[in-house]
Order: sequence, then structure tokens, then C-alpha cells
Amino acid sequence: MPRRAYLGYALQRIAQAIAVILLAYVFTFLVITVLPGDPVSNTLNNPENNFTDDEVARIIAYYGLDKPVLVQLWESLGRFLSFDLGISLRSNLPVSRLIGDVLGSTLVLAASALAVAVVLAFAIAYGTRNLPAPLARPLRAFPSLFLSVPNFVIGLLLINIFAFQLGVFQVIDSEGPAATLFAAIALGIPVSAQLAEVLIANLDREARQEYATFATSRGLSRSRLFWRHLLKPSSLPVITVLALTIGELLGGALITETIFGRTGIGSLVQRSVTTQDLPVLQAVVVLAAVSFVVVNLVVDLLYPLLDPRVDLRGAPKRARAVEESSKDRVLAEVAR
Amino acid sequence: MSTIETTSTGWRPSALRQGRDRVRNRPPLSVILAFAMLLLVIGWSVAPGLFTSQDPARGVPAEAFQGPSAAHWFGTDHLGRDEFARVVHGSASSVTSALVAVAIGVVVGGLMGLLGGFLGGWVDATLARLVDVLLAIPSFLLAVVVVSALGFETINAAIATGVSAVAVFARVMRSEVLKTRRAVFVEASLLLGGSRWHVLVRHVLPNASRSVLNLAVLQFGLSILVIAGLAFLGYGDPPPASDWGLLVSAGKDYPLAPWLVYTPALVTIATVLSANRISRWLRKTD
Repeated sequence: MPRRAYLGYALQRIAQAIAVILLAYVFTFLVITVLPGDPVSNTLNNPENNFTDDEVARIIAYYGLDKPVLVQLWESLGRFLSFDLGISLRSNLPVSRLIGDVLGSTLVLAASALAVAVVLAFAIAYGTRNLPAPLARPLRAFPSLFLSVPNFVIGLLLINIFAFQLGVFQVIDSEGPAATLFAAIALGIPVSAQLAEVLIANLDREARQEYATFATSRGLSRSRLFWRHLLKPSSLPVITVLALTIGELLGGALITETIFGRTGIGSLVQRSVTTQDLPVLQAVVVLAAVSFVVVNLVVDLLYPLLDPRVDLRGAPKRARAVEESSKDRVLAEVAR
Repeated sequence: MSTIETTSTGWRPSALRQGRDRVRNRPPLSVILAFAMLLLVIGWSVAPGLFTSQDPARGVPAEAFQGPSAAHWFGTDHLGRDEFARVVHGSASSVTSALVAVAIGVVVGGLMGLLGGFLGGWVDATLARLVDVLLAIPSFLLAVVVVSALGFETINAAIATGVSAVAVFARVMRSEVLKTRRAVFVEASLLLGGSRWHVLVRHVLPNASRSVLNLAVLQFGLSILVIAGLAFLGYGDPPPASDWGLLVSAGKDYPLAPWLVYTPALVTIATVLSANRISRWLRKTD
């Protein structure tokens, strides 16, 4: 691959990613600030919260709440660019510390859920191609079924069966390995459905190619055809879908963490929503957007290196058009 | 899209052709069942009184925690209220919110995609970045933030769900518009002196509408899930209401009465599954 074409493509993608992150910050700020309802003054003036007049004045001055919205936005954006996420309205602690305290737990959960999802998706896809038809056919309905089950129902079901009836794990020990595994299963199942759907569609398409017919006619067994020929070209596009599901993992963590009683980003959001702790909400949303953008950036940059068929020669614009249209297809297929 | 790609299949014996067409036109059993399920749920939400004679709010304390039976199909809850009546009466709010969410997604997202794809240039570039932003924020998190800014009500949860669906509709609409704009008949229409408005309304919209309809059906199911999730977390109307998500949330506190979780959950799953099945069928018959 010509190095210059790749470099141009990479620079363009990086610039785009930075723009999206900044816009996400502005967008969240506007949603929180401009929409009706003034949670900040409600919170500050609520007698239950015991803010002294002095504290109220300090908070208002810190956030510039007496200034016009655009000035507030500009100052807030400036703080964000110097990596200052602000101070929680509720606990008076820096938001970055609140997030740092719980980030580890959520990362462990999300990573395990991702692993569960990948394993499950590949197992389902393998089954649809290699099991006898009476078993393979119902297996094809699984992704669609998984996508239709609310993830809180999966969580409650797992807790009811494995914690209450079988006693495999204790609900109290919510951060233990067994409880984490089941939380990861609850979070991973809807994600696995999206992966499996794309994987199965790709496998079907590859299996119709002439090389697959030729390999079969040469006498290759089904499983050898699967492992040696079909799997590799089918799994590459799955990486793109995997990157798109990052948001789903973070969003789903909100519900999964509540059900399994874990402390993490999800429970932090829950608490901030009920107490209207806006700086924390703003920070979490931006953090989610940053992780989504960064993961997708890395995947987009790695993809041409992984798949030599992606041709970046010509204008980087064309590469983007190709990449965007493939993403549209994926989006339409899984519709997030 | 068969409307664009006129694949020349050549001559086929008419008997064969008719046979194939007949098979293609008759929906499979699962699709009929899916339509029946959606009709039933819509019936529940339009006229709940026709389907259950029991009052969802009136509890008979002596009949608390009864399992499913002929008298109480879905059992009773901790106050002795009939769970089936609560599910039936709760469907109006669940179904309406999902429809509101889909309407927001179709109108706002569709308009964004249409304008971006059709006008191109800086309009497209600006809208594309906005869509990128909406896609970058996890949709459930976005819904939670919007609903917390608007206030905890079911209608706000519906609006929030709609906002989080805008990006997907914009993306799909834009790619459909771009696909159609390159088609030969659009070029022909422009060359024949058709105005851009004429081309938009007569050619681009009808061709894009199929994919958007398909996505709208899928999104209806997804919206029910998102709204149920929001209700489950307590971001919808408070308890006297009986949204499906809220019923599951209330039922989870009584592990010894599992039907309180499973019956509203099963209704939710069946509804979403039906929407998914119909959407898939629409895509196949395209």
C-alpha cells in the first residue's frame, strides 16, 4: 500500500475524530443547559442539600452560571481542553476523581462482556454452518431473539436462576469473579446478536463464492472449508461492527450495573441523574463519545493494514466514501 | 432495491413465473403470527377494556401473589391487582411512546438525510458531522441525558429515544438518496426539464421510503426496548402507571412471584420479536 495515501487517509480520520469529540462536548453541553428545566438552581436552592449562600455563590461563579450560555460554553470548552472536567455539584470532588474511582470496574465488565459476545457470536456462526440442518436452522433465529430481549430481563433471569436457585454466585459479592461473569453475560448477549448477525451474513456470502464451491468440489470437508477459507474474510468486517458496539456496551452497563448492584460508570450516571449532578453527566457522556471515537479511529486506521484488498490509492476522499458506505450497510443491518 | 435495479431476467415460462411469484407473495407463517401479535398489542392499547374486564388499579389484598390461573392469566401482584390487566392497560403508553420515538426519528433523521444527500456540499458536510456526533454518544446514555434534562415522564422518555434514533435514520436516508440520485432515470428526469423539487418528490422519496419503512419497523421494536429500559430505571411515569418496563422493575422485588417479571417481559419480547420479524420480511421481499 502506498505510504502517502495511507498517511493522508490517517490524517483526515484523526482530524475528523477530534472534531467529533469537540462537537460531542458542545452538543451535550447544549442539551443539558438549554433544554427546559433548570436543575442547577433547583439543586442549589433545594434546602435538603444544605448549600450555604457562600457555597452557592462559589459554584455559580465557578461555572459562570450568571453569564450568557455561549460564554459558559466557551469557558467550559476551555476547561475541557485543558483536561479539567470540573467539580461535582453533589460531592464537591473533582469529576475526574469520581470517574477514575469507578472506571476500572466498568472496564472489567465491558471487556468481559465483549469477550463473551465474541465467543458467543462465533459459536453461533460456527453452528449455523457446521451443525446438521435441523439444529442449524433454529440457531439462525438466535441473534434475532437475543436482540429482542431487554437486557434487564436477561440480567434478572440470570440472577434468579444462577444466584437464587442454583447458588453459583452470591448477589452480595457483586464484584466477585462469578458475579462479574454473569453480569458480562447479561451485557454481552445483545452485543453478540449483532456480531453473529453480520458474521452469519458474511459467511453465507463467502460460501456462495466460486472458490468455496471449488474447494467443496475438490472434496474439502465442511469444517475445513469453514476454518481454512470462509472464516478469515468473514471476520474482518466484524471488527468494524465490534467497534460500533462500544457505545452499546457503555449504555447497557447502566442497566446491568444497576441490576447486579455493581459500582461503576453506570451507577455513577444513575446517581448523577437522580441528583442532577450535571458536570458528572457531561463528563461521562463526553468520555463515552471519546472512547467510541478513539476505538473506531483505531479500527479504521488498522483496517487497511489488516485487509490488503482495501485500496487507498486515489484521493483519501474515495477511501472515506468506501468506508462510509460499508458502515451504512452495517448500520442498516444491525441498526445499532 | 428492485425499484432501481431492473434486473433483466429474460424470458421465463409463465407457469414457472406465476408459481414463484405466488410463493413470494404469501408471507410465511411466522410473519403472519408477528402481524397478529402487533395487532393484538395495538388492540390492547386502543381499547384495553375489550381485552380485560378487571381494573388494573384495584387490588384485592386477599388475592395477593397468586400464580397465573384461569381467573388471573398473568397472576396477581403484591396488592392483589390483576397483572394481565396491568400489562394490557400499560401497553397504550409503551406502544404510543415507541411510535412517538419512531416518528421523531423518521421525520428529523429523514429530513437530515434527505437534505444532506440531495443538496450535498457544505449542508451535507455539516449534517454528516452532526450525525457522527449523535452516533458517537451511546444511544441509551443519550436517551438518559435527554430525559433527565426534560424531566422524568414517559413522553420525555419517548422524545429522548427518538433523539437517539435520529442518526441511524439520517444515515440510511442519505445513502438511499445518494443511490437514487445516481440512477439513470433521475438523470433523465432532470434532462427532461424536471425541477429538483419534482425529482425529489416523484423519484427520490418513493425509492428511499422502502428502506426507511423497513428501518422504522425495526426501530419500533428497538424503541420499545429502550423505553422499557428507561422505565425500568424509573425515568418514565411513576408507579401508578404500568409501563412494561416499570412492571418488570416492580416485579423484580418479589423473587417468589417470578410471573411478575416473566409475563410483562414475555409480552415485551414477543412484541419486539414481531417487529424484527416483519422488518426482516420486508427487507427480503424488497
